[in-house]
Amino acid sequence: MSTWTRYLERQPRGAVAAGCIVLSFVTGFLDYVTGTLISFSAFYLLPVSLAAWFVGQAFGLFIATLCVTVWVAGNLIAGDPNFANPFLIAWNGSIQLASFAVVVLVLGMLHNLTRDLERRVRERAAALTKEIAERERLQNLLLQASEKEQRRIGQDLHDGLGQHLAGTAIAGQVLREKLERRSLDEARDAAKVVQLIEEGVSLTRRSAKGLYPVDMQAEGLMLALEEFALTTTRLFDVNCRFLCESPVLVGSPTAAEHIFRIAQEATRNAIQHGGAGNIDIELNTLEEGHELRIADDGRGLPSIIPANGGLGLRIMAQRAQTIGAEFQVTVGPECGTIVICRLPVTIEEKMAS
Amino acid sequence: MSSRTSTVFLVDDHPLVREWLTTLINQLPDLRVCGEAAGAEQAFDGMRRSRPDIAIVDLALPEGSGLALVKRITTEMPEIAVVVLSMHDERYYAERAFRAGARGYVMKGESTSSIAAAIRDVLAGRLYVSPRMQGVFSKRFGEEDLQSLHAPVKKLSDRELEVFRLLGQGYETRRVAQSLNVSIKTVQAYCARIKEKLQLANASELLREAIRWNDAQSAG
Repeated sequence: MSTWTRYLERQPRGAVAAGCIVLSFVTGFLDYVTGTLISFSAFYLLPVSLAAWFVGQAFGLFIATLCVTVWVAGNLIAGDPNFANPFLIAWNGSIQLASFAVVVLVLGMLHNLTRDLERRVRERAAALTKEIAERERLQNLLLQASEKEQRRIGQDLHDGLGQHLAGTAIAGQVLREKLERRSLDEARDAAKVVQLIEEGVSLTRRSAKGLYPVDMQAEGLMLALEEFALTTTRLFDVNCRFLCESPVLVGSPTAAEHIFRIAQEATRNAIQHGGAGNIDIELNTLEEGHELRIADDGRGLPSIIPANGGLGLRIMAQRAQTIGAEFQVTVGPECGTIVICRLPVTIEEKMAS
Repeated sequence: MSSRTSTVFLVDDHPLVREWLTTLINQLPDLRVCGEAAGAEQAFDGMRRSRPDIAIVDLALPEGSGLALVKRITTEMPEIAVVVLSMHDERYYAERAFRAGARGYVMKGESTSSIAAAIRDVLAGRLYVSPRMQGVFSKRFGEEDLQSLHAPVKKLSDRELEVFRLLGQGYETRRVAQSLNVSIKTVQAYCARIKEKLQLANASELLREAIRWNDAQSAG
């Protein structure tokens, strides 16, 4: 049903109208041939309905009139006793025309209703698509804003606090040397103070690195992940390795940063939620693109992710989506979780240029 | 008894660092700060006027990069020795600084007590890096540099050498595979063997080593 209605809707109106006229005459001819004893009037509904639905209400009424004319003419020629005098012709013709007109009007209304409904469905769908796109755009903006803020804090730490502490360490060293020249025991305390300030610089540098990790060069991602694995091992009492078979150069700084953040988030999840002791961060080149893979030996994913949880997973997926990468989280073969992010080579090249 | 006083020029955008470095250096008997600057241009002009024996340069400068300044000083005023004093990690930046012509690298806030030692070493014509970096650097930038530089690479097979050379030209794994007409897996296998033969810990070290070797090849 819907196939042929769709077919007819696609045809030019003129052709359908011509078809309806031809069909009216054909029905009239068949009516005439079958004789006066067999009622054929219902078959005129076909051209009338087609005209009303596919061409328009006015044309429907025209075809209704045409059909009634053809019907009356056929019956007159056949010598039907129901059309013996002008009154009978006018009466029967009017009844038939009125019933056809009702069909035309009902079909016209139905058609308008259907069209209206379809239009509203289309509008709703468009609005929904727009809303989804807008929400994605906002999520991206949010992510970018928080990253920008992190970067700013990282830079402030590195260039502001770090430099200040470095200057203070030099001041401490000046004091230490003055005390040493006077052979005072306090020189040792001064040396200790210098050492403490240097530890402060080192802590600042590390925090800044966590906030502003990827140096904007192609090999930056490898270096950043290597550094991150070392720092993680040192700070969290876990064995975090960075594995990379052959040099992986990511030309787009944006892609590099998102990949790094995914690794960071997956590692944090492995330690905090999975209680993992070993974490492998792998960066590799595959035929189809770059692959980041973080595997741990922790408890793995909970079977039910709490309603307020899973935010980290969602953000990782969002990051992957932002750079056009494929994102996947699965359970390890024996235990733990495997997080995979694949950046297709075509997208990476496009982003880099 | 009258050993000559050497002059030092400071380039750092942080006033606190400049102030205390000046105090630190001036209290040493044989050193004197002859000028300071916060930016690259100002630094270059200042050095042209005061002609110091040594310049201490930060890598992060407000206008222009410190590395570019190091390069400019060492090419246009080669008699000035440059020591880099930077917040940046020496593992990644020391080599770049040395390639730009620096003769010493000290990480800010890591070994404050060795700033003076670094200045003295460089003034005496030696190179200075932290003890941690010495192992890596001694064979790279020493006098007998070139021979020792090329020796380990001789252990590589022709095909491995080819991969190594392409990596050094900045080719990515995929492009190496394409230009040698082999699969990515094969290139990765070559990389694993090269790393083993040259005793490199990871892919980024492999890349750095390849680039360095390539630079040395084209320079020689």
